[in-house]
Amino acid sequence: MEGLLFNVNNGYIEGIVRGYRNSLLTSTNYTNMTQCESIDDLKLQLGPAYGDFLASLPPKPSTSALAAKTTDKLVSEFRYVRANAAGSLAKFMDYLTYGYMIDNVALLITGTLHERDTRELLERCHPLGWFETMPVLCVATNIEELYNSVMIETPLAPYFKSSLSLQDLDELNIEIVRNTLYKNYLEDFYHFVNTHPDMAGTPTAEVMSELLEFEADRRAINITLNSFGTELSKADRKKLYPNFGQLYPEGTLMLSRADDFEGVRLAVEGVADYKSFFDAAGLGGGPSGPGNMGGGGTEGKSLEDMFYQKEMEISKMAFTRQFTYAIVYAWVKLREQEIRNITWIAECIAQNQKERINNYISVF
Amino acid sequence: MSGAADREAVFPTRQSLGIMKAKLKGAETGHSLLKRKSEALTKSITRRIDEAKRKMGRVMQIASLSLAEVTYAVGGNIGYQIQESTKSARFRIRAKQENVSGVLLPAFEAYQAEGNDDFAMTGLGKGGQQVQRCRETYARAVEALVELASLQTAFVILDEVIKVVNRRVNAIEHVIIPRTENTIKYINSELDELDREEFYRLKKVAAKKQRDNAETDAQMKAKKAEQQRLADSENAEGEQTENTPADILAAEEDEDVIF
Repeated sequence: MEGLLFNVNNGYIEGIVRGYRNSLLTSTNYTNMTQCESIDDLKLQLGPAYGDFLASLPPKPSTSALAAKTTDKLVSEFRYVRANAAGSLAKFMDYLTYGYMIDNVALLITGTLHERDTRELLERCHPLGWFETMPVLCVATNIEELYNSVMIETPLAPYFKSSLSLQDLDELNIEIVRNTLYKNYLEDFYHFVNTHPDMAGTPTAEVMSELLEFEADRRAINITLNSFGTELSKADRKKLYPNFGQLYPEGTLMLSRADDFEGVRLAVEGVADYKSFFDAAGLGGGPSGPGNMGGGGTEGKSLEDMFYQKEMEISKMAFTRQFTYAIVYAWVKLREQEIRNITWIAECIAQNQKERINNYISVF
Repeated sequence: MSGAADREAVFPTRQSLGIMKAKLKGAETGHSLLKRKSEALTKSITRRIDEAKRKMGRVMQIASLSLAEVTYAVGGNIGYQIQESTKSARFRIRAKQENVSGVLLPAFEAYQAEGNDDFAMTGLGKGGQQVQRCRETYARAVEALVELASLQTAFVILDEVIKVVNRRVNAIEHVIIPRTENTIKYINSELDELDREEFYRLKKVAAKKQRDNAETDAQMKAKKAEQQRLADSENAEGEQTENTPADILAAEEDEDVIF
């Protein structure tokens, strides 16, 4: 049914994004890249995919410059798609940017709290999370002004309003602020894709639910694992878990009580995918615990790696569906992973540490 | 000899010869000790610096790879957050003094302040473990750096000391020892000279005595000959008293022998 009218508004966008998806690097490309001897070789290998954007790089560019340029390409393509989007797809894409916006606002809050000149921070902000009124936030010199500006100027106001007060900004650790915002954002996004008349009951809702649920679970698990040994209390930790996802509610409840890696493993037993991740990570991670990206051994994949892998697989599957907005989300995620892969390979080449160069995640 | 100027102003006596010999011995012992000291100083420190530098290279490589891991896991630049959320130093340095072959060297000792977890929550959403591990690797890298810095500082100071020691070694080797040797030679030659003079003088005295003896002998002989002649003339005058005068003669001869 949804196929009947989808193309009226969104057919062009879907076509474009599918085209972009086809230009993603394949495993053959990656294999070629890992054979490179220098960054310049790598640049050459990236030529077909990133030609225009890498052209301005000087010879022997730094890896961060390379990453910045590849991100530039994603941003410009995203902006093009966004400019052509209409109606609910435009709204959907705006939602996509809110995640980056949260990061940027958190950065500005950090700067303001420490009384830095926030204008310098603008160029550090993620371009996807850029919003027109962001420079306005830099006018604020204290946290109260900033809070008010955020409430007025940004689409993030609801996320702030529901759970964070002015005092919280001042007192709480910026990471808690960020994760609270992100939790609210994920819940809102989830609500949006499942209730908006254009999306509810369509493949969009289905695929996006899967993606967002995965994201929520991943965040819950990561927050739990990373909070061990910090002053984050269990009650506070529980507040940071999104209220949906495959783990919700039993899994998250158990997560909130977990004290160590074993506790987390028990909490996620109910979901087959995560269980297998933890089994693999538990074996490979060794005594230093989970999440080692090869910290213990170069062979074993870390939890983080497996999460990325899983995310990429879901994103890849999104392209098997038609008439859905989710492909835009999936494309952005795939592209981000590609940028991470390129950066990783470039780092390995630059540092001459070829033994771990194959740690990238390639899905096509 | 390299000249009379290159010796110490001492009187060439046996006593000062003894002093000089003791001094030479002392200088030689000191020379060998100092030489060994300077070698020990140079060798140990350069080898340790070499080791520290190699270690730093290895550790830094691991550290920068772990930073790459953080970039990969977090998917962005977290440098600013880290910078802003740090309030006090976790990794600190204590300076103390160390005594190496009598040289006081500053030594830096690194330690980590307890309970200082300023950015424990960075990367809470994702990449937190990588951030923590990166911090650990960099802490190790900084440790290696501190060690190297400590050695380098020590090296600079030791360099000064080694120069002084080498200067002393050279001074002893090229100035003090030759000069003392010169002095000893000088004293020896002076003493020899004195010896020779003394010997000559004795010889002179002996010669003089001999001459004197010979003179007295000659006088005696002359006197005796006179007496003989007188006695002969007396004998020729009276043949009867031949026996008795003969006794007298014998007595006289006895007297002569006694003299």
